[in-house]
Amino acid sequence: MAAKDLSLTSLPTELLQAIFEYLPPEALVTCSGVSRRLRAIATLPALWRSQCQSRFKFWHTRHHISAKLGGPLTDTDWQSLFKERIAADRTTSGLLEEILASQKRQIANVAEIAALGYDAKDALLRECSVPNDTEDVLARRFYANATLDRIHREVAINVWKDLAKGTAVKLERALAAYDMFTLGTNAGDIDDITRFLDDLARSLRLENPTLGSLSTREQALTLASFLRSRNYRGVSEESYTALRNNFIGIVLSSEDHESLPLISVAIYCAVAERVGLDARPCGYPFHVYGIVHPPKGQTLDGKLASTTATPEHLYIDPFRSDLAVPEESLRTMLRQMGIHSSDHNNFLGDASTRGLVLRTARNIMNSVQTIRQTEEQLWANSSFRPPSWLSAFPDMDDAFYATLWSMLILGPGLEEDGSVASITTRRRQYLPYLCDHFQQHSPWDVTLIEEHIMPMFYNLPEGRRLLHHINSIHAADAKPKPVSARSEMTKKLTYKVGQVFHHRRYLYEGVITGWDSSCAAGEEWIRHMGVDHLSGGRDQGFYHVLVADKSMRYVAKENIEPVLSTYEPSQSMMKLAGRYFKRWDSNQGVFVSNIRDEYPDD
Amino acid sequence: MAATTSIETPQKILLTTSDNVELKVDRDVAERSILIKNLLEDLGGEGTEAIPIPNVNEAVMKKVLEWCEQHRKDAPATQDDDSDSRKKSTDIDEWDQKFMQVDQEMLFEIILAANYLDIKALLDVGCKTVANMIKGKSPDEIRKTFNIQNDFTPEEEDQIRRENEWAEDR
Repeated sequence: MAAKDLSLTSLPTELLQAIFEYLPPEALVTCSGVSRRLRAIATLPALWRSQCQSRFKFWHTRHHISAKLGGPLTDTDWQSLFKERIAADRTTSGLLEEILASQKRQIANVAEIAALGYDAKDALLRECSVPNDTEDVLARRFYANATLDRIHREVAINVWKDLAKGTAVKLERALAAYDMFTLGTNAGDIDDITRFLDDLARSLRLENPTLGSLSTREQALTLASFLRSRNYRGVSEESYTALRNNFIGIVLSSEDHESLPLISVAIYCAVAERVGLDARPCGYPFHVYGIVHPPKGQTLDGKLASTTATPEHLYIDPFRSDLAVPEESLRTMLRQMGIHSSDHNNFLGDASTRGLVLRTARNIMNSVQTIRQTEEQLWANSSFRPPSWLSAFPDMDDAFYATLWSMLILGPGLEEDGSVASITTRRRQYLPYLCDHFQQHSPWDVTLIEEHIMPMFYNLPEGRRLLHHINSIHAADAKPKPVSARSEMTKKLTYKVGQVFHHRRYLYEGVITGWDSSCAAGEEWIRHMGVDHLSGGRDQGFYHVLVADKSMRYVAKENIEPVLSTYEPSQSMMKLAGRYFKRWDSNQGVFVSNIRDEYPDD
Repeated sequence: MAATTSIETPQKILLTTSDNVELKVDRDVAERSILIKNLLEDLGGEGTEAIPIPNVNEAVMKKVLEWCEQHRKDAPATQDDDSDSRKKSTDIDEWDQKFMQVDQEMLFEIILAANYLDIKALLDVGCKTVANMIKGKSPDEIRKTFNIQNDFTPEEEDQIRRENEWAEDR
């Protein structure tokens, strides 16, 4: 090897490539314009593949990224793919800027980002974690989070819609859809859950190298004791109704792996499938079991089954033990429940994925109700109730919202309750809750409602009302917000948008998000709330406020007790405030308005 | 017996460079090179024979051994470091930075030698050093820095400029 005239371009290709591995994409692009030799290196697919991998973690499903990464290098134009993702990143950032700049087209802009799906996720995650000293830190994090949540929900909704259409959907995915509703910026989406289960299956195989040669019965029991050894041991009596036990992703990623029987069985069956064992959930009342089937023509102990005998199977209860459950004791319990023996086979057979998703919905609703009742009792004698949502994971409202969606999409079908009319009736009861929730917490979900809910109610009175409602939301979104400027008229309005206060009577913490110079609510509300009994009556300033418990209220001036300028808002308040405010100004003791398009002088 | 002596004084081995110079070096230092390590294992014996390194001259070999000496206590390189290469940090520790302050020819010699001798950590440092010299420069500055001829036709240059526009605003 000649030492003379050694230069960059005389290095062999693989070394130049090794050097270029350390270059950022912009530098690679620059190098492609330096000379032919450098261009040949800088456009190598391998370099762009690693750019794609290191820069982007999340990909829209349409890219089939794992297939591409696993496939031959040259089958994919990695540089174009990278360019495409950069473009999606920029679109996302640009649209988010628009959302932050004006309330006009907020819903439309969120929908545009959401249309990018997981191609927008990396950019949104970056925005969710902007530094604390960012000029509009609260607003930026809030809308990045909100848009991300909207994307996650759409993933979940599509999983359930596939299921409703009769497409084969794996149980773990159908259950993981609930996790998508509460995920936020955490790990644990559907793909992570799949990976968790793959890892469990891999460990099981490593610990039991001879697994494949065991009989079905031995495999079933080995898997059961393996899961128990990994701390999958159901849950104790006292935390049985904890909300988190319903979420397969939370169960898999938590340390204690506490779960409800349904989730325990789902995990059991998912791992079983990965090691070639046929296990399915069984729709037993009150407690889900698993049923393990031997391969066709075989007994549980690996013998040839006689052609005349009924096929064998085995019940297991991974929630409680690593032993098989005798079928007879299951039948005895059914008799004790008063279920006629002619119906027993229904309860001892396979449960449908759809049925289990709905069962989970009911379990979640029960948990939410338990939480609400507990709080009710806890604060029964107090006029003040501190917001507890911030420290709770998963979020109760998000979880409840998820059940409304799953009930509406998968809810009672033909096989359960005959007529189309009754299905519609059952669905109808969830609609008002769904509408309440989305209007209060996530108005940008209107596009989801329009696409996925609206078609269910065509030709029905609520369908027409819903359509009207959707259209008016879009119409309002398309226009600038009506401006409320300060004038002679508003002189008696003491407080400004951004003022934090405590309610004089109910003590809750809130922030002012808007005002009227006198009570602008309807007559009915005025009467119902006893506005005329206030000392200032209806002719005083009235304030739209956002409360730390997530609610929005309308409060008379006399009930506003402004905080001192040294006040620090609660974490709950800080998290919610981003919907209307840029940041907390600790010098002035107020939130800095991000709705100047509506209240230019506040 | 060899084992007892190696505890007190490190075992020495001999290397013959491409320009026929014999270098005496501690075995564990030389074994930062996977190539040399494998050769020594294959030879099996006491390692008294000089090992020929036909691709590296004395000056470069000394420089490489200086690096190995400094890094003799580092954890041995693991076989599949592929995941690491994805963490494209171009941070270089201080000693290595100083070590790499050499003229370009020597820098490329070190890279070639590290590659040939299979010293992954040194190769990485070399590649990062060159990458840092490229980063943030315009095509012209890169040409100047590395004495590269612009061999594009004006038409090609135009086309490349258009193609590369996407990477610009940021």
